[in-house]
Amino acid sequence: MELFAFVTPLFLSLIVAGTFVGIVFGAIPGMTATMAVAVCLPLTYPLGLENGLALLLGLYVGGISGGLVPAILLNIPGTPSSITTTFDGYPMTRRGEGERALKIGIVSSLVGGLISLAILFLFAPVLADFAIRFSYVEKFLIIFFAMTVMAALSKDTLVGIFSGVLGIFISLIGVYDLSDGGNGKTRLIPPGLDYWLDSGFSLLPVLIGLFGLTAVLCEAELGVPRGLSRSEVKVGHSSRFSFSVFKGQMLNLIRSSGIGTFVGILPGVGGSAASILAYTNAKTFSKNRDNFGKGEPAGIMASEAGNNGLTGGALVPLLSLGIPGDSTTALLIGAFTLQGIQVGPLFIGNNPDTWNAMIFAMMIANAAMFIMMFFAIRYVALIVTVPKHILYPIILMMCVIGAYTINYGIMFDVWTLAIFGLFGWVAYHTRLEIAPFIIGFILGPSAEVYFVKSLESFGDPTIFFTKSWIAMVLWVLISGSILISLYLARQARRD
Amino acid sequence: MTITRRLALAVLGATALTATSLTAMAQELPRNVRLVIGSTSTGGDTYQNSAIVADALADKLGINIKVDAVGATAAFKALERDKRGTTLMIFHDQSYLGELYGREGYKDPFSTYKIGPTVAINPGNAYLVAKNAKYGTMGEILSAAEAGEKVRVAIQPGGVSEIGFSAMKNAARLRSPGSEANLVAVNTGSQSDKNQAMWDDLADVINGSIQANEQFTQLADDDQKAMKFVWITARPKTLEQAPEQGMGDTTRDKLLKYASPETNVPLNDAENFTFDKEFFFLYNAEMDDAIVSQIDTALAEIFENGEIQKRQKASFFIPNFLPSDKARAHLEAKRNTYKDVISEITTN
Repeated sequence: MELFAFVTPLFLSLIVAGTFVGIVFGAIPGMTATMAVAVCLPLTYPLGLENGLALLLGLYVGGISGGLVPAILLNIPGTPSSITTTFDGYPMTRRGEGERALKIGIVSSLVGGLISLAILFLFAPVLADFAIRFSYVEKFLIIFFAMTVMAALSKDTLVGIFSGVLGIFISLIGVYDLSDGGNGKTRLIPPGLDYWLDSGFSLLPVLIGLFGLTAVLCEAELGVPRGLSRSEVKVGHSSRFSFSVFKGQMLNLIRSSGIGTFVGILPGVGGSAASILAYTNAKTFSKNRDNFGKGEPAGIMASEAGNNGLTGGALVPLLSLGIPGDSTTALLIGAFTLQGIQVGPLFIGNNPDTWNAMIFAMMIANAAMFIMMFFAIRYVALIVTVPKHILYPIILMMCVIGAYTINYGIMFDVWTLAIFGLFGWVAYHTRLEIAPFIIGFILGPSAEVYFVKSLESFGDPTIFFTKSWIAMVLWVLISGSILISLYLARQARRD
Repeated sequence: MTITRRLALAVLGATALTATSLTAMAQELPRNVRLVIGSTSTGGDTYQNSAIVADALADKLGINIKVDAVGATAAFKALERDKRGTTLMIFHDQSYLGELYGREGYKDPFSTYKIGPTVAINPGNAYLVAKNAKYGTMGEILSAAEAGEKVRVAIQPGGVSEIGFSAMKNAARLRSPGSEANLVAVNTGSQSDKNQAMWDDLADVINGSIQANEQFTQLADDDQKAMKFVWITARPKTLEQAPEQGMGDTTRDKLLKYASPETNVPLNDAENFTFDKEFFFLYNAEMDDAIVSQIDTALAEIFENGEIQKRQKASFFIPNFLPSDKARAHLEAKRNTYKDVISEITTN
């Protein structure tokens, strides 16, 4: 059939192989979908555009999905977008429901991926036109909305907000980059560290330091007594998965997938914001909001549907405006440029074969991801039964390798891992909250850029309230989220 | 004793062998080479161009070359750390423009590094306005500034994006001293931000490129996203080498209408300002000259063969090989011209 002329055994094999490699990259702490695509990008030139895209899209879908494995089993987010998966995934693992949590995450990832793909296929050009209505002001409000989750995730609201603000502060160390519209000047760098910190602390080393190294240090502190060396966490019968867990969660899944897709459509907002926003909304609208952060399946569903929803969404501005929606699609654009193909507003109409090949590849990649992960996950989940004195050195080694390679071999990134691992350990023993801290760290740079650019562009602080109806809707959501957080904090104090 | 003597001979032999091989290694590129680039994007022209050159060079020399998109600051640092030839760099005119505009992290490349050969030109640097804008040409923009109207130009300050804006200000000053103050920079970041600035009516003119913006010029007049070119900064001699079909719906002949001499942005009383974005190698200042010669010779043979030009042209690059010594003289002269433009508009 002419329509599917691109479907060859090589095309299909590349999707499956890409998805598998992507899952592996996503599952290793410190390795990301972006890194997988970057490593394989030069291979795509001899493959041609459609086959090259098949490989890269497989890596993209697999990489985003694979992040849930360490997030759930080890409390280490495989990718920044799986941070919110740790909030409920790891508590489920601790109570012996690791496999169940993984399968909930996998099914949610599939739903998120397919919904976003359908939206991409049906509405890409229309959504691109809508996306350009989001100026600096609306983008800042979206980031601010995502930040409201900081208070909701904290045991103590005030400490949570302090931790979040501390995260924002540390994220601003380094240059206010010209490529972000900044002034190109460095700030907040401690004396003597200019050489290392001119670009600030890298996100991935901070992330795996706070989650991976801190966990190792805390466990080491407890010691590994003889006879107790095996993990207390088991993949027992209570781990049985049933699709009935999704009963009553369709709205959560669709909403989270929609949020993920929508965030992906907005260039520059960032992939991590997708799962954070989806999680915030799921918690805000859930009847069981008290259970979020304690092993609530709906939290995993929101996070995973949200971050996989991003995959289709981020392709909308790429294919409709020539503007990548997130860091991974910024690499995908390289596959087009290497073949001398320009992407822009006419791309879809001018290249129907490539467009169809991409949609088909994304569909197959989602299916391959589901099959590989759903049926193999029982064995992957057994990782938690590996004795900690064997498992933790391996985790530590992977963290160091991941930190060292993320910026193509910068030793300071390994020091960053160590610094933030220690910081996490100190936070664990004080009242500082890690989840709001890392959310502040992730969202801080975007919040700064959009806040400053809004004021620079419009010159009036009231613009945040008066810019458009979209801004007003966002303020309603922000207010609702803050009020619910305060209400929950008061309830918790009463209990 | 015999054992001791044999051991001493073996150690001596091994040392001599190692020294010989190290000396040999120092005179040529190692087996694995890292080519850092001054951009963090793998979707941009620097990566695309570097990948083409790296492929050809690796094939020619039988070595591995890995292109790492680490960005300018990290790339300069990596280059300064390694004088063995394991790390090379490809970047463009931003290397010296960054220093001329006083950007942090930039030093004078001509005194800090060895300048290697030029390999290609991207002729695409362009300025655009909205399709329904009141200005249709550079002449109208400069006239508006002369008449006291503020014209907002979206650029990323401190480099390639700003040099055209500096030239516009210089042209406005030549036309009517003082009118350059009416050309106002809107500092943005990526191309996406510049486009968005136009769609949000925060900028009247944006810096862009033929490659990234041509499709927007094909949109219907009533489309909010529609744009039109007003100026392409490349030299006419460069643009004439572009493929005849141009890019998208804009043929080479049409492109030439937006460039000098058809579009006038005066540099001085005698000539127009032009700017070609040229890509070239940078090396550690202490890298062995034998390696410099090795790369020059290999590239000369690659360009003589002619295959690389086909791939460059297919990606809308203009092949422009100049060996290291000629490249240095050419780029230094170019730098001095732009230094004068920048100094004219900052001192007058």
